[in-house]
Amino acid sequence: MRLRRQLTDIAASLFALAATVFGLTWLVWILWTTVVEGAAAISPALFTEMTPPPGSSGGLLNAFYGSAVMVLLALAIGTPLGIAAGTYLAEHGRHSRLAATVSFLNDILLSAPSIVIGLFVYELVVRPAGHFSGFAGALALAMILLPIVVRTTDEALRLVPNQMREAAFALGMPAWRVTSRIIYKSALSGIVTGVLLGLARIAGETAPLLFTALNNQFWSASMAQPLANVPVVIFQYAMSPYDEWHALAWAGALVLTIFVLGLNLMVRFFARKGSK
Amino acid sequence: MIELLDRRADEAAGAASPPKIDVRGLEFFYGKSQALKSVHLAVPANAVTAIIGPSGCGKSTLLRTINRIYELYPDQRAAGEIVIDGRNILDPRYPLSTLRRCVGMVFQKPTPFATSIRKNVAFALSYYERLPKAELSDRTEDALRQAALWDEVKDKLDASALSLSGGQQQRLCIARTLAVRPEIILLDEPTSALDPISTAKIEELIHELRQRFTIVIVTHNMQQAARVSQRTAFFHLGELIEVGDTSQIFTNPHVQRTQDYITGRYG
Repeated sequence: MRLRRQLTDIAASLFALAATVFGLTWLVWILWTTVVEGAAAISPALFTEMTPPPGSSGGLLNAFYGSAVMVLLALAIGTPLGIAAGTYLAEHGRHSRLAATVSFLNDILLSAPSIVIGLFVYELVVRPAGHFSGFAGALALAMILLPIVVRTTDEALRLVPNQMREAAFALGMPAWRVTSRIIYKSALSGIVTGVLLGLARIAGETAPLLFTALNNQFWSASMAQPLANVPVVIFQYAMSPYDEWHALAWAGALVLTIFVLGLNLMVRFFARKGSK
Repeated sequence: MIELLDRRADEAAGAASPPKIDVRGLEFFYGKSQALKSVHLAVPANAVTAIIGPSGCGKSTLLRTINRIYELYPDQRAAGEIVIDGRNILDPRYPLSTLRRCVGMVFQKPTPFATSIRKNVAFALSYYERLPKAELSDRTEDALRQAALWDEVKDKLDASALSLSGGQQQRLCIARTLAVRPEIILLDEPTSALDPISTAKIEELIHELRQRFTIVIVTHNMQQAARVSQRTAFFHLGELIEVGDTSQIFTNPHVQRTQDYITGRYG
């Protein structure tokens, strides 16, 4: 009987270990391939030159620039809206039907396929305007970021104990002051974590940009024009028959991976700071 | 001996002057369940009134109606009157910020805000009064001194309030309440989460504060009630069973149920 229990225990442990190794293998493999292929292609030119025509060398400067401005604009749109909506859900609408509905719809938006959001913005902005643009790309990314920030803000605020609210309200403070000065401070690390996670998510999104910002082979700083960006460049170059383009795609993939990895490390840092 | 005479004098004064808080026919409901039944209680000014009773008897509920903090929860409701300085504060037209400025509250668990010690104290103060920086800093010091915390924190006012010990955090919460110069202070089991030394400090503090404030303290600890209060009210199952001078309640209660509780027969 005892032996059987021990054997079951060992078998279960082995199975759990095997499952972990199986899962991690792919991750390590993907990372390893990206690092090996990407590192070979990384050079100063990557950050100083434009995407080249087939057969010649170049860099990804215009793509990095386009990604950066679109992601920043998406952050500027999505973060305040998301925090405001999350605050409504957690603080003001706690007992209301409207909040329950909004929360449900937010969950749907959260799990909406990103290509659907791309198509939506295409119909909303690109078609009426008649051309692809950086603004449309940023808008699509903002719509992906928004529900993430709403959800994490909502959850971070709900983690603030009610005693804290009572203590602040007991001093006679109005709700807006309690929220902005007391509750946000307690929930700050959770909210920042949410924004960073959202940022990591939109940095690598390709599908919504295909229909909105598209791509641009040349230098263009205008948000009103089609804008180069890292994910779409990777997508196009990886599909191409040219070796130089393959190398650039790997290099772009490596830079993007390092960026997202860095964001995740920051998230861990903030989460740990918050739990202290 | 002097303390005893002191207490006698307080008791005489408490009985003569009009009450600071006059609770008249107060009923309280959590949803459909009734937590307070027709409570009549006069709380004298500049004295400590202790509310005792077994868990769930409604003592905290009573405290939470006096500053209307229960209104944060839509399913909680109070009926009846609580008259402070001649006005019924349960009247929805009575402005909440006026009420809560006059009636401060300190909770069971210390609730320092996640910011500096200085800002914890100045937070409410700077909302009510537009003070020049120097004066704000004076008032902060003043409040911390009154809460007997100044000497321990004067060199680290900008440190996080979360770095203080539990007892210090609780005194910080008292300082925060005192900073806006209330007239009434509600203490909801303020020492139940603290060690004996911190508890002694808070009790000493209560003893000093009662000269200038009207204090209502809810406590599970009967020795504490006997030590810090001049009046004691005993609650059971949402009803006020007996109220009187603390010495009388603890030595010669008129009601059998009070006697049973203070001698530890239930609770």
